[in-house]
Amino acid sequence: MREPVLTEERTGATHYAMRWGWLFAPVLLGPAACVQVSAPDKPIEINLNINIRQEVVVRLQQDAKDLLKKDPGVF
Amino acid sequence: MKRSTKLILAAGLGLAIAVAGATAASAMLQPGEAAELRASGAAGEQADGYMGVVGSPASDIRSKVEAVNIRRRAHYTDLAAKRGVKIEEAAATVACEIFRDRVAPGQFYRLTDGIWRKRDAAPVPLPHYCG
Repeated sequence: MREPVLTEERTGATHYAMRWGWLFAPVLLGPAACVQVSAPDKPIEINLNINIRQEVVVRLQQDAKDLLKKDPGVF
Repeated sequence: MKRSTKLILAAGLGLAIAVAGATAASAMLQPGEAAELRASGAAGEQADGYMGVVGSPASDIRSKVEAVNIRRRAHYTDLAAKRGVKIEEAAATVACEIFRDRVAPGQFYRLTDGIWRKRDAAPVPLPHYCG
Protein backbone atom coordinates (compact mmCIF):
# COMPACT_ATOMS: atom_id res chain seq x y z
CA MET A 1 0.00 0.00 0.00
CA ARG A 2 1.34 3.41 -0.89
CA GLU A 3 1.05 6.53 1.20
CA PRO A 4 -1.24 9.08 -0.46
CA VAL A 5 1.31 11.82 0.13
CA LEU A 6 3.76 10.09 -2.16
CA THR A 7 1.42 10.31 -5.13
CA GLU A 8 0.52 13.92 -4.45
CA GLU A 9 2.27 16.65 -6.38
CA ARG A 10 4.94 18.09 -4.09
CA THR A 11 4.40 21.82 -4.10
CA GLY A 12 4.60 24.75 -1.69
CA ALA A 13 5.13 24.15 2.01
CA THR A 14 4.90 20.35 1.80
CA HIS A 15 7.55 20.22 -0.87
CA TYR A 16 9.77 22.59 1.11
CA ALA A 17 9.37 20.61 4.33
CA MET A 18 10.10 17.29 2.62
CA ARG A 19 13.10 18.67 0.85
CA TRP A 20 14.68 20.60 3.72
CA GLY A 21 13.08 19.09 6.82
CA TRP A 22 16.03 16.76 7.36
CA LEU A 23 18.19 19.79 8.06
CA PHE A 24 16.29 20.30 11.31
CA ALA A 25 16.66 16.70 12.43
CA PRO A 26 19.93 17.36 14.33
CA VAL A 27 18.26 20.28 16.15
CA LEU A 28 15.35 18.09 17.19
CA LEU A 29 17.57 15.14 18.14
CA GLY A 30 20.16 17.38 19.80
CA PRO A 31 19.05 17.17 23.45
CA ALA A 32 18.61 13.38 23.34
CA ALA A 33 22.00 12.92 21.67
CA CYS A 34 23.70 15.16 24.25
CA VAL A 35 22.45 13.01 27.12
CA GLN A 36 23.83 9.89 25.46
CA VAL A 37 27.20 11.46 24.65
CA SER A 38 27.77 12.81 28.16
CA ALA A 39 26.73 9.54 29.85
CA PRO A 40 30.22 7.93 29.83
CA ASP A 41 31.63 10.93 31.71
CA LYS A 42 29.61 9.99 34.79
CA PRO A 43 29.69 6.21 35.01
CA ILE A 44 30.05 6.10 38.76
CA GLU A 45 27.25 5.96 41.24
CA ILE A 46 28.43 6.15 44.80
CA ASN A 47 26.64 3.50 46.78
CA LEU A 48 27.88 2.81 50.26
CA ASN A 49 25.17 0.28 51.08
CA ILE A 50 26.96 -2.66 49.55
CA ASN A 51 27.02 -6.27 50.56
CA ILE A 52 30.62 -7.42 50.65
CA ARG A 53 31.61 -11.07 51.11
CA GLN A 54 34.49 -11.27 53.55
CA GLU A 55 36.05 -14.32 51.87
CA VAL A 56 36.28 -12.27 48.65
CA VAL A 57 38.03 -9.42 50.46
CA VAL A 58 40.54 -11.84 52.00
CA ARG A 59 41.15 -13.51 48.63
CA LEU A 60 41.67 -10.18 46.83
CA GLN A 61 43.76 -8.46 49.50
CA GLN A 62 47.12 -9.01 47.76
CA ASP A 63 45.65 -7.87 44.42
CA ALA A 64 44.47 -4.69 46.13
CA LYS A 65 47.90 -4.00 47.64
CA ASP A 66 49.51 -4.54 44.22
CA LEU A 67 47.04 -2.20 42.56
CA LEU A 68 47.86 0.64 44.98
CA LYS A 69 51.55 0.26 44.13
CA LYS A 70 50.90 -0.09 40.39
CA ASP A 71 48.97 3.18 39.99
CA PRO A 72 49.88 5.54 42.84
CA GLY A 73 48.49 8.54 40.96
CA VAL A 74 44.98 7.14 41.13
CA PHE A 75 45.18 5.66 44.64
CA MET B 1 31.56 16.10 -3.38
CA LYS B 2 29.71 12.82 -3.12
CA ARG B 3 27.35 12.34 -0.27
CA SER B 4 29.21 9.27 1.01
CA THR B 5 32.46 11.27 1.04
CA LYS B 6 30.78 13.95 3.15
CA LEU B 7 29.55 11.31 5.59
CA ILE B 8 33.04 9.85 5.93
CA LEU B 9 34.50 13.32 6.54
CA ALA B 10 31.84 14.07 9.15
CA ALA B 11 32.51 10.78 10.93
CA GLY B 12 36.27 11.47 10.86
CA LEU B 13 35.75 14.92 12.38
CA GLY B 14 33.56 13.46 15.11
CA LEU B 15 36.20 10.88 15.95
CA ALA B 16 38.94 13.54 16.05
CA ILE B 17 36.90 15.61 18.52
CA ALA B 18 36.23 12.54 20.69
CA VAL B 19 39.94 11.62 20.75
CA ALA B 20 40.94 15.21 21.59
CA GLY B 21 38.43 15.23 24.44
CA ALA B 22 39.71 11.94 25.86
CA THR B 23 43.32 13.16 25.65
CA ALA B 24 42.42 16.36 27.49
CA ALA B 25 40.63 14.37 30.22
CA SER B 26 43.58 12.03 30.80
CA ALA B 27 46.05 14.92 30.65
CA MET B 28 44.21 16.49 33.58
CA LEU B 29 45.27 13.61 35.81
CA GLN B 30 48.67 14.35 37.34
CA PRO B 31 50.89 11.80 39.04
CA GLY B 32 49.96 11.76 42.72
CA GLU B 33 46.61 13.35 41.93
CA ALA B 34 44.66 11.26 44.46
CA ALA B 35 47.20 12.07 47.19
CA GLU B 36 46.98 15.78 46.40
CA LEU B 37 43.20 15.69 46.51
CA ARG B 38 43.25 13.96 49.90
CA ALA B 39 45.83 16.43 51.22
CA SER B 40 43.76 19.41 50.05
CA GLY B 41 40.92 18.37 52.35
CA ALA B 42 38.41 18.98 49.55
CA ALA B 43 38.11 15.27 48.82
CA GLY B 44 38.32 12.07 50.82
CA GLU B 45 38.19 8.31 50.57
CA GLN B 46 35.00 6.28 50.70
CA ALA B 47 34.28 2.69 51.71
CA ASP B 48 33.03 1.97 48.20
CA GLY B 49 36.55 2.42 46.80
CA TYR B 50 35.98 5.80 45.19
CA MET B 51 36.92 9.35 46.16
CA GLY B 52 34.20 11.75 47.18
CA VAL B 53 34.10 15.50 47.51
CA VAL B 54 33.83 16.92 51.01
CA GLY B 55 31.37 19.78 51.21
CA SER B 56 30.94 21.90 48.06
CA PRO B 57 34.35 22.33 46.45
CA ALA B 58 35.20 24.22 43.25
CA SER B 59 34.29 22.57 39.99
CA ASP B 60 37.93 21.81 39.11
CA ILE B 61 38.22 19.68 42.27
CA ARG B 62 35.02 17.94 41.31
CA SER B 63 36.30 17.10 37.83
CA LYS B 64 39.65 15.88 39.20
CA VAL B 65 37.83 13.56 41.60
CA GLU B 66 35.72 12.32 38.71
CA ALA B 67 38.83 11.67 36.59
CA VAL B 68 40.42 9.68 39.43
CA ASN B 69 37.22 7.68 39.92
CA ILE B 70 36.93 6.82 36.24
CA ARG B 71 40.45 5.38 36.33
CA ARG B 72 39.67 3.51 39.55
CA ARG B 73 36.52 2.09 38.05
CA ALA B 74 38.58 0.66 35.17
CA HIS B 75 40.99 -1.02 37.63
CA TYR B 76 38.12 -2.45 39.70
CA THR B 77 36.40 -3.77 36.59
CA ASP B 78 39.61 -5.51 35.47
CA LEU B 79 40.28 -6.99 38.91
CA ALA B 80 36.69 -8.19 39.30
CA ALA B 81 36.77 -9.89 35.90
CA LYS B 82 40.15 -11.47 36.65
CA ARG B 83 38.99 -12.97 39.95
CA GLY B 84 35.33 -13.60 39.10
CA VAL B 85 33.86 -11.32 41.77
CA LYS B 86 31.53 -8.32 41.75
CA ILE B 87 33.03 -4.95 40.83
CA GLU B 88 31.73 -3.56 44.15
CA GLU B 89 33.61 -6.26 46.05
CA ALA B 90 36.86 -5.59 44.21
CA ALA B 91 36.36 -1.87 44.89
CA ALA B 92 35.59 -2.41 48.59
CA THR B 93 38.69 -4.58 49.00
CA VAL B 94 40.86 -1.82 47.55
CA ALA B 95 39.07 0.67 49.83
CA CYS B 96 40.26 -1.37 52.85
CA GLU B 97 43.85 -0.95 51.63
CA ILE B 98 43.35 2.76 50.91
CA PHE B 99 42.04 3.26 54.47
CA ARG B 100 45.03 1.34 55.85
CA ASP B 101 47.78 2.88 53.73
CA ARG B 102 46.72 6.12 52.10
CA VAL B 103 44.51 8.16 54.41
CA ALA B 104 46.87 10.23 56.57
CA PRO B 105 45.99 11.98 59.85
CA GLY B 106 43.95 15.12 59.11
CA GLN B 107 42.48 13.65 55.92
CA PHE B 108 38.86 12.69 55.31
CA TYR B 109 37.23 9.28 55.04
CA ARG B 110 33.68 8.04 54.82
CA LEU B 111 32.53 4.64 56.00
CA THR B 112 29.28 2.83 55.23
CA ASP B 113 27.33 5.22 57.47
CA GLY B 114 27.93 7.95 54.86
CA ILE B 115 29.39 10.49 57.30
CA TRP B 116 32.65 12.28 56.49
CA ARG B 117 35.19 12.02 59.31
CA LYS B 118 38.68 13.42 59.71
CA ARG B 119 41.34 10.90 60.64
CA ASP B 120 43.19 11.68 63.87
CA ALA B 121 46.42 10.03 65.11
CA ALA B 122 44.65 6.64 65.34
CA PRO B 123 44.22 4.50 62.19
CA VAL B 124 40.96 4.66 60.24
CA PRO B 125 38.46 2.22 61.82
CA LEU B 126 37.97 -0.39 59.12
CA PRO B 127 34.65 -1.93 58.01
CA HIS B 128 34.10 -5.42 59.46
CA TYR B 129 34.70 -7.19 56.12
CA CYS B 130 38.22 -5.78 55.73
CA GLY B 131 39.62 -8.55 57.97
